[in-house]
Amino acid sequence: MTRLSFQKALFYTGIAIILWVAVSFIYAPIYSVLTQAFIDDTGFNFGAAGELAESNRVRRAIQNTLLVTVLSVITVNLVGIFQVAALEYISVKGRRFLKFAYAMPLIFVSVVAATGYNFAYGQTGVVTRAIQSVFPSLPNDWFSGPFAVVIAHTFLLTSFHYLFLRAAFRRVDYSVVEAARGLGASNLRAFRSVVLPLLLPTIFATSLLVAYKSLSSFAIPAVVGGRRFDMVAELILTLNSLRRADMAAMLSILLGVSVILCILVMQRIEKRGSYSGGSKTQVAIQRIPLSNPFTNALVHIVAYLIALLQLLPVALVVVYSFAPAKSIIAAVVPSSLTFKNYAAVLSGGDAFTPLKNSLLMGGAAVGMGLLVSLFVVILANRYRNKATTAIDLTFMLPWTLPLPFIAIGLIATFATPNWLVGNQTLLGSYWILPIGYAIVVIPLMIRFLRAAFYALDPYQLEAAQALGAPPLYRFLRITLPAVAPVIILVAGLNINMILSEYTMSAFLFNVNNKPLSIALFEGARSANPDQAAINLVYMTLIMAFSYFIISIADRYGLGRSTRR
Amino acid sequence: MLHEAQEVGSPKPPPRRREKPKVPTNDEQDMRKPQKMKTIFSLGLLTSAMALSVASTAFADPITVYTPQGEERAVWITEQALEAGHEIEVLSAGGGELFDRILAERANPQADIVFGLIDAAMATLKTEKLFEAHVPTWAEGLPAVYRDDADNMVYKFWQTPIVLAYNADALSADEAPTSWMDLIKPEFSGKYVIGPSAWQTTKSYLVGVLVRFADEDGNISDEGWDFMQALYDNAIIVDSGEAKTAAFVNGDATIDLNWFGGVGRQAESVGYNAVMVDTDGGTPFISEGVAIMKGTDQLDASKAFVDWFGSPTFMIAYAEQFGQTPVHPEAIAGSPETVQANAKLVSPQDIDWDAAAPEIDAWMQRIELEIK
Repeated sequence: MTRLSFQKALFYTGIAIILWVAVSFIYAPIYSVLTQAFIDDTGFNFGAAGELAESNRVRRAIQNTLLVTVLSVITVNLVGIFQVAALEYISVKGRRFLKFAYAMPLIFVSVVAATGYNFAYGQTGVVTRAIQSVFPSLPNDWFSGPFAVVIAHTFLLTSFHYLFLRAAFRRVDYSVVEAARGLGASNLRAFRSVVLPLLLPTIFATSLLVAYKSLSSFAIPAVVGGRRFDMVAELILTLNSLRRADMAAMLSILLGVSVILCILVMQRIEKRGSYSGGSKTQVAIQRIPLSNPFTNALVHIVAYLIALLQLLPVALVVVYSFAPAKSIIAAVVPSSLTFKNYAAVLSGGDAFTPLKNSLLMGGAAVGMGLLVSLFVVILANRYRNKATTAIDLTFMLPWTLPLPFIAIGLIATFATPNWLVGNQTLLGSYWILPIGYAIVVIPLMIRFLRAAFYALDPYQLEAAQALGAPPLYRFLRITLPAVAPVIILVAGLNINMILSEYTMSAFLFNVNNKPLSIALFEGARSANPDQAAINLVYMTLIMAFSYFIISIADRYGLGRSTRR
Repeated sequence: MLHEAQEVGSPKPPPRRREKPKVPTNDEQDMRKPQKMKTIFSLGLLTSAMALSVASTAFADPITVYTPQGEERAVWITEQALEAGHEIEVLSAGGGELFDRILAERANPQADIVFGLIDAAMATLKTEKLFEAHVPTWAEGLPAVYRDDADNMVYKFWQTPIVLAYNADALSADEAPTSWMDLIKPEFSGKYVIGPSAWQTTKSYLVGVLVRFADEDGNISDEGWDFMQALYDNAIIVDSGEAKTAAFVNGDATIDLNWFGGVGRQAESVGYNAVMVDTDGGTPFISEGVAIMKGTDQLDASKAFVDWFGSPTFMIAYAEQFGQTPVHPEAIAGSPETVQANAKLVSPQDIDWDAAAPEIDAWMQRIELEIK
């Protein structure tokens, strides 16, 4: 028996395993959601839909979700487009500072952002206390309800504009702007009539991403929404805990359908392609100084105000994480600075457990995810046929489904012994959450790894083969070194994502594996200063880790084509 | 106990990994796509190893006990049990959470014993056929209401009133409510806190309120649901124990709807004097039971633990340590006087928990989806 044939057998085993993963953890959960929603012992049954329609709370949650989504898309666009203009179109002083402030939504995400907003503006928040010291009549819960959720979305969901719209703006040919101005158009007119139309496809795409995020928003309404304010994702969890799996499944299908609609529309717009304007030799965009002192001042004020609003919660979290526990919930300005809170978390006591759980589960999920994604990408890269495309699309499916849908599917599939996993019951076990995380991270991994594999130099491999290098040797000496940095970065990005992942965690965690995001969420309402201090340390650590990973990813140009 | 916010997770060791499977080979050669073979080699092995590790579970030697008893109570019980020759491992979590967990694990029970869940929860788990029959040695002399003569599965050992208490530093006795029915009055608007209906405590008093409006068949009248709506409209609604405490810390809430031991604990941590009201119409009493899980691999050890745990001797020791009121007449007689006196502070509301148990899920659903 030769080594190659041995490897070939292994190859088929690998395929079998990939198919098993796809069937067990992607198709079976989707199937379970559908059957749970529509089929009971008596056959087809749509009773859950009627009950959902009758529930006041469900109706309110759907209304709230739609309202918040529509408002968020408008406000995020206003802020996001202004930010891009301030950074790339107009010459504004202190651009580096603004860029830093506007980048905050990249590291201040999900439950970290929600608890951060709560820390700043919540019932006992620092800003609330500061305002109350001047205006004592301000109610404690001034920052709650749809208003608070839309405000939080407005300043937290601009990351797509920061990333994609800015990139699109840079591709605009400056000569068309110059031409417009030469024909007598004002700066604003040139922006509105020439630049904006060129950006429209990207604006549509980012708007839909915002809508997608807002529709399935979970941590933010749960933390800052306040009393009697639900959005759909939260309500799915409530229905699940009421043991009405059918209603939870039905509602998650509704959410899933609306999200998929968003994605389909987005892809249509992407496919229509971007407008091409301007000359063959593009002129790089140049920032225009505003000549009217009044508009200039106004633009500066607004630009810095937005920067302040985006920086403030982050800065408060970081500064107060060094404050003595006592002054965190009482003082407006910390009395002194200390490392005691960090010592409490990192010394390995109870406060360290959630961090440890999240790191272990994140590591396991990223490990499993990487193996599956690498295999899928190698497969799709080698054989481009219908079967590999199908496998590829299968593992991209979780990206198009909202997380509550996937979580409900996993719960429904593994609440009883399932032959797919050797008659085990995964629900209530340690492993169901890392598996859930892995399913969520695989699509992103596949996208980045695919890009890295496309960028491989085929001539090197051919040369090595011609020189007689065996497959293993070629993989280890050529392929692996070329994609290793991407693998490491992708692993880092996804562990970072998992540290603050809230939705999957809320559905699947149990007493054995309470993750960091759940600890943060529970701690957000704590009146106990020590708990508040620990929370701030968690948030600061997560943000520091995010900052580190994202800076490296940015420098390395992850996701951009690196083809020579 | 019924304290929901406490949580002492005792993390289980991660499941053992099994040996990597032997992979079949064949002699066929394929020169076209040799390059990825090696990748796939390692991928295949690792993925399958991981898949298997997911599937394996390990049973430890000590008896695994699920209970809402947390923190120092869990530690103390574990120590006392060990002294009496019972090696136990306690997994504690909120009562509602444990209940869900036991149901979720029904096909693959991880616990050998469950104790401390309230009447309705134990009744549901019993109807789900999750318990093993065992008549404890201390069943004799136990009042019939705490025994399980029909199935011999669930025996009660403690009782707790779910009381209405108030912050005596903020309210005078005249200003305080005298009945649960008073809570919807305008003067108590925003003065009391309702937690998640999944909490055992919340669930118990909500049921206590609803059954007052039940007809002979157990159906709740419209008036009852209107009252429930008013009760929620008038309350501070929270979804965590921390948020509940916060409402008392910032002075919004002055009336505490809590289990007996929780009243004092919260008053102490927030810093006020609590007074319990002997309400008109009675106070819901709940009792907590112990049962052995069906499918336990430590049946004899579990039986021995149950016999020891519910015995008047240990119940008296526990009453001395934590002031908890037992239900066994012998244990009550041997308890400290303060415990005996506490037991008479409030008069019980007459609730038929066995009759209510099958309805509770639907009631809670209506509260969560239409009232909250």
